[in-house]
Amino acid sequence: MTFSKFLTALGFTAAALAAPMAAPSAQAAGTLTVGLTIDPGSWDPIDTFLVPWASAATNIYDGLTSRGPDMKLNPGLATSWEFLDNNNRIRFKLRQNVKFHNGEPFNAAAVKFTFDRLLGDEGKKGPQQSNYNSIDHVEIVDDNTVDFVMKQADPVLLTKLAGYGAMIVPPKYLQEKGDEYFNTHPVGTGPFKFVEYNPKVNLTLEAFPEHWGGAPKLDKVVYRMIAEANTQIAELQAGRIDIATLIPFALTPTVQQASNLQLVSITGPTVVALRLNTRDGITKDVKVRKALNMAVDREAIIKAVLLGHAKPIASFQSELSFGYDPNLKPVPFDLAKAKQLLQEAGVQPGSAIKIDFRGNDATFREVAQAAAGYFQALGLKPSVQPYEPAVLLNDIIPNGKTGEAWHNSWGGWTFDYDNTAYLMYHSGEKWNPYGNDKKLDELLESQRKIYDVKAREKVLQEVARYVADQALEIPLYNQNTILGVNKRVKNFVAPADLRFRLNDVSVD
Amino acid sequence: MAGFILKRLLQAVFVILAVTLIVSFAVRLSGDPAIMLTGGAGGVTEQDLQNIRKSLGLERPFIIQYFSFLQGIVVGDFGRSFMGGTPVAKLIGNALPATLLLAFASLLTSIAFSVPLGVYAAVKRGRWPDQLIRILSLVGLSFPNFWLAIMMVLFFSIFLGWLPPSGMEGPQSFVMPALTMAIILTATNVRLVRTSMLETLSQQYIMVARSKGLKDWVVLYKHALRNSAIPLVTYIGLQFGGLIGSIVIVERVFNWPGMGTLAFDAISARDYPVLQGTITVLALFIVFINIVIDIAYGFIDPRIRTE
Repeated sequence: MTFSKFLTALGFTAAALAAPMAAPSAQAAGTLTVGLTIDPGSWDPIDTFLVPWASAATNIYDGLTSRGPDMKLNPGLATSWEFLDNNNRIRFKLRQNVKFHNGEPFNAAAVKFTFDRLLGDEGKKGPQQSNYNSIDHVEIVDDNTVDFVMKQADPVLLTKLAGYGAMIVPPKYLQEKGDEYFNTHPVGTGPFKFVEYNPKVNLTLEAFPEHWGGAPKLDKVVYRMIAEANTQIAELQAGRIDIATLIPFALTPTVQQASNLQLVSITGPTVVALRLNTRDGITKDVKVRKALNMAVDREAIIKAVLLGHAKPIASFQSELSFGYDPNLKPVPFDLAKAKQLLQEAGVQPGSAIKIDFRGNDATFREVAQAAAGYFQALGLKPSVQPYEPAVLLNDIIPNGKTGEAWHNSWGGWTFDYDNTAYLMYHSGEKWNPYGNDKKLDELLESQRKIYDVKAREKVLQEVARYVADQALEIPLYNQNTILGVNKRVKNFVAPADLRFRLNDVSVD
Repeated sequence: MAGFILKRLLQAVFVILAVTLIVSFAVRLSGDPAIMLTGGAGGVTEQDLQNIRKSLGLERPFIIQYFSFLQGIVVGDFGRSFMGGTPVAKLIGNALPATLLLAFASLLTSIAFSVPLGVYAAVKRGRWPDQLIRILSLVGLSFPNFWLAIMMVLFFSIFLGWLPPSGMEGPQSFVMPALTMAIILTATNVRLVRTSMLETLSQQYIMVARSKGLKDWVVLYKHALRNSAIPLVTYIGLQFGGLIGSIVIVERVFNWPGMGTLAFDAISARDYPVLQGTITVLALFIVFINIVIDIAYGFIDPRIRTE
């Protein structure tokens, strides 16, 4: 090939690349497309803890219980349950005539297999096992009845059976095909069955008409992995995805302004606080901690930084959380009183206060700066210190190397304050490097043995009040779960936990 | 030639060893995959994290982990992703063609623009077309490519609705990512073609060619360009290596299922095997390109072949 021929060929190639300017295919009827941020890599329920896993897999699997977008617990593959033996045994009646996508029958053996696997060696390799450690083992009573024999009391168990690691898997399929095959070819009893998975690109599901809850209205659901927010929004605007799950606060106006789109902003699980160092620095003194609580204008931060997509909080939980107390109100902003408290505590003007935060969190970077501004108004000398998240979570916090305040962000899908409070405030816990409070320990331990819903709620509310009273942290806000949804999507009720269940959804 | 290639291959082995050692070591300083895997989730206890670390083989000393990685490379086994256990070789097998296709498309687009423009600028040296081309290339060079990418998406995908904003779905998916890369490349290449041509055009044999009465374009494209090609090919070859590096951002913006996206995700998840695998393969690739350039000289300029 001579050089000039080479150049001619180049010209043709360039022309060929530029030529097909055909419009990208519009959305197919009956197909819903969802943008996910991360590809969990495996669709096996026991392998991961990632929310995007649940956004997809909640449609493939069922649990013994289920939870709708209203966060209320309903029967799932179990139709009823009762507590026996002093709550040491929970008996589940199973739904009959349920089939897995591969035709395998769902029965007591499948439940036992699922939990043997979760609690055994296979489960040990993943992050799900610890959530279910309160279960000792599962016994088959008859083909449609199982007993959960408990190792210790676990009032949150029924909720935990509605998602993630407790999803029921098909025994025969797993035994025949093996665990590795199952990771990328999942089979469950859910309303949609697996069709195709291209790692890092997409996952395709199609309707499973024989689902016990009735046939889904959609024919197909496609999940596309798109990690970049701008890209998700561009795809949403172009009508090529119907639901975008990554909309940073700053980009919400773009979605609001588009005529074909709707911005969904609902109360979510994520709460954000500045935890305070009770061992060193000026924050050792409870008076100072209270002063700091008063000095921060939560409403102003929410309005300016989060563009209104959050609510101020009084304790480290969302209003959807079990243990939430509507009577516990956020400390009102009162700079004068805060100054007075500081003076009473004998804090010198210009005393240092350092805020450690996760450096990859662009929103919190602004929040931290705003908080620093308020501390400065108080006469202190604030500084902000960004960390690589893994370093902050793995080293700085657990080893007690933080500044006076640090960024705490939390969001459990179970919406139970126990899940947060125990890990945050019980002595010896990783997230509680400085605290060692006998009274808190006792409260936290006692509620773990209470099955009575009202009684347990009262204890949890007491925990929240005690923490607020001691001002262990500056609870800031509960940030909203934000979705961008194409208006052609009908009957979609956004769930706060992003565990989409798409049975009733349809598209125009 | 054989001896020369053998020597280059030996050098390559050392480069690869150094790269893998640095990458494996550095990524382990940056954080704990077990935490990333659990998404920092609530109920996770230290015991869980330890179990996960053990099942990922992370409790072994670094040197052992590194050697088992090297051992794997020799037999073509890059291990398994921490996220879901997919074999790394499979992930790379999916991603590498996507990246190479995009890199070639970008390079070809850039050559298609820069050669005619550069030659034209050289011919019109000092006059306004030359000035204009030089100013435009400076402007092109100054654009951050992610900004350019986002602007193109706004215009072509959202405003006009002509092109898919992301993904790799067909020929039209290539247009924006390749153009983004090509604009940046063209900015440098135009200047290179121009300089190289200017040098060649001042040679005596060009004068001879002209005085033979050859047509203008024959003189330019057949005689001059061919002789200016050596520095161009060298540079474009090296550029291909650099291109693979800078493609990461463009891939991310366009959600291109290539090596850049793979590496980016692997870094955020501390997915050591995937990161080690992608970097090693890219390093191998760049070393390979450099060898190919050396051989390519021989074809363009027969004088090198006989040496």
